[in-house]
Amino acid sequence: MSIRVRQSWRSLGLFLVSLTLVFIAYGCSPSSKKAKTTISVWHWMTDRDSVFQELAKRYEGLTGTRVSFELYAPSDTYSQKVRAAAQGANLPDLFGILGEKRDFSSFIKAGYILELTPYMEREEFKWKKSLFAKALGVNEFTEGNSYGIKPGIYGVPIDIITIQMLYNKDLFKQLGLNPDKPPLTFAEFLKIGEKIKAAGLQGLVSGWGEIWMIDCLANNYAFNIMGKDKVLATIKGEVPYTDPDWVKVLSLFKEMRDSGVLASGLVTMVNKNAEQLFANNKAAFAFNGSWCVNVYKGMNPGLAYAVMLPPAASRDYPMSIWGGAGSSFLVNARSKNKEAAVEFLKWLTSRDQQAYLSEATMNLPANKECLNKLPKILSQFAQAMELSTHPNTWDISESPQVIEAFDKGIQSIIIGEKTPQQIAQEVQRIKERQLSSLDHEIKIRPGKLYFYPSGNAHLCYFLSYTFYLGIPPRPLRMGRDTAY
Amino acid sequence: MKAAGYYKVKRIIINTLIHLFLITIALSCIFPLSWMISSSLKTQETVFKDMSLVPKELHFENYILAWKEGGFGRYFLNSIFYTLSVVIGIIIVASMAAYAFSRLRFPGRNLLFFMFMAAMMIPIPGSFVALYVLLNKLHLRNTPFGYILCMINVGLSMSIFLLKTFFDKLPRELEDAARIDGCSKFGIWWQIALPLSRPVLAVVVVFNALNVWNEYVLALIIFDNKNLMPLQRALMMFQGEFMTNYPLLMAGLTITALPIIIVYLFMQKYIVKGATSGALFG
Repeated sequence: MSIRVRQSWRSLGLFLVSLTLVFIAYGCSPSSKKAKTTISVWHWMTDRDSVFQELAKRYEGLTGTRVSFELYAPSDTYSQKVRAAAQGANLPDLFGILGEKRDFSSFIKAGYILELTPYMEREEFKWKKSLFAKALGVNEFTEGNSYGIKPGIYGVPIDIITIQMLYNKDLFKQLGLNPDKPPLTFAEFLKIGEKIKAAGLQGLVSGWGEIWMIDCLANNYAFNIMGKDKVLATIKGEVPYTDPDWVKVLSLFKEMRDSGVLASGLVTMVNKNAEQLFANNKAAFAFNGSWCVNVYKGMNPGLAYAVMLPPAASRDYPMSIWGGAGSSFLVNARSKNKEAAVEFLKWLTSRDQQAYLSEATMNLPANKECLNKLPKILSQFAQAMELSTHPNTWDISESPQVIEAFDKGIQSIIIGEKTPQQIAQEVQRIKERQLSSLDHEIKIRPGKLYFYPSGNAHLCYFLSYTFYLGIPPRPLRMGRDTAY
Repeated sequence: MKAAGYYKVKRIIINTLIHLFLITIALSCIFPLSWMISSSLKTQETVFKDMSLVPKELHFENYILAWKEGGFGRYFLNSIFYTLSVVIGIIIVASMAAYAFSRLRFPGRNLLFFMFMAAMMIPIPGSFVALYVLLNKLHLRNTPFGYILCMINVGLSMSIFLLKTFFDKLPRELEDAARIDGCSKFGIWWQIALPLSRPVLAVVVVFNALNVWNEYVLALIIFDNKNLMPLQRALMMFQGEFMTNYPLLMAGLTITALPIIIVYLFMQKYIVKGATSGALFG
């Protein structure tokens, strides 16, 4: 027995030694030779990765500066990585932040993001002028913004997005409608709903199961009915959600439901399903973003469709659509390569590179100088850029609880569970609660990056420091947003 | 005679119903797999148009494309290395710890055990930032060793719990006999406890192998170098922000699922044994 035990000991020891050697060999393998300057870029855009790699090659050939694009998808995990890297001071030279403007402002306050205004203003604003102002607006903080950020531009858009309505030309013909004349007014739109119902077709499809798209259309109509100032006044708490204009906005969804212009099962529909229905000629209308061009091309290359603005419900204010920067890159203010990174961004957003990016990925370019090179359907999306707006450009944001109540309320209206008046009252109640709780919230300390996890991260953080390292934890940093 | 006929009919009816029920369950398990394989042989267009399970045209080239575009070669090796290291690490540490919790008497034993159990309640995503900061401090971020340590840590609680439950039921007489023969504590663990716990070890191996093989989020957070990423990274290449390349994704998923199905088939006997002998107790 003792000989066997000794043998077993020896084999276990041998195994552990070889495992350690493998670890050492694996962990200490020599890293590849680096060029003079290497700009590291973190991104989440799977569909654009190969194009980015190609552009990086071209840039290296042109300047000798190596650009390393590292893809971290899906986007929610990417966001976690960026936040974790910020905690460990390991952010790359260029990166993007996915989230609301308050998240963006946290990174700026923590000193992770370089202000780009001086670079934009060089050579008589050449760089700034080449980009869509609305797309830049997403990365801009204006004077007196509610986040307390120094006014300026802090990011560069590499593409843009607009969210509009689309209609199926073949189904329009089938319904006896002119495929070149989409409905311009809400009344016309509702009339088509009656025809759709009579023909047994599906009407409007969209990803309203992912509720942000409902919010998007509802805000379009809020801008159309009461104008931007009143919408912002509501967010500030100066106008109640029970105002007749807001009730009117909510009532539009009831009218759409009653007319039959909405597809069945719309409230739980995810955008992928909506895209599938529209691409397979099963729905007359879709509410979708400019990214859909690429999606429909993959699903049904022969699909005959066109873009239209959401039909106006009022003549008082122009129709607005959601749009702006699709994806943006930010420069790490603590990077030793920040100048080189800015130079690369300038090159990436110049006309030729933007045209190439747009052609290869079917996304709308951020550079307005290459719009004439776009396919017809993409240029239809781009034309409405001037009508676009986005919450990230408003310098004030509605609380997530109010947005959720508003959007879920619209879902309730569509399924006939509640009336627009009831929803308006419910949303207002939550808004009032939010406004009163503002006085009691924990103050955010400037210069700190805030994380808002489920509480477990704090616990783990505490445990890891206390039990593993024997070092007392840093003070817990708290804030009011649940997204971080 | 009449009664025998009645019981025969009754048995046939009950058996038919049981079989129908089991076939339905089996079909519901097999359907996603068949849909995955079927979609992997279609084109992006026919995935949405042709709903049949047997496509009219079979596009086997999707597998070659997926392998090349996803860079499966490198990631496959990485995943095999991580899975083997983590599973071996868990077996060594968890079996020793479980044996100690089951057999040794030392102060704070229960407290320590409950602390391990409490760790099971903390969801992994909740500890990402903490793990990241910890690895960064230890200079283990962006290294396979750091990732393996984290994954071993992730699998320990459940494995210790399973093994301790098994060791608790093991007759002490066997150990006494070994001790009379001159076996040390380590010898008993190595010669007696470990070989006898094969069924529960099979469960531990499959559970943890599955966990490591399918893990991606922690790897993505810890690794900056894509060459160190596990297999799941290859699959993400086919999932765009707005668009998914379904045929290549499904081909990739089929490639990824194959090794783990093979492991499961090989260890099936032990897993069933483990489950029936109380390995999954609790």
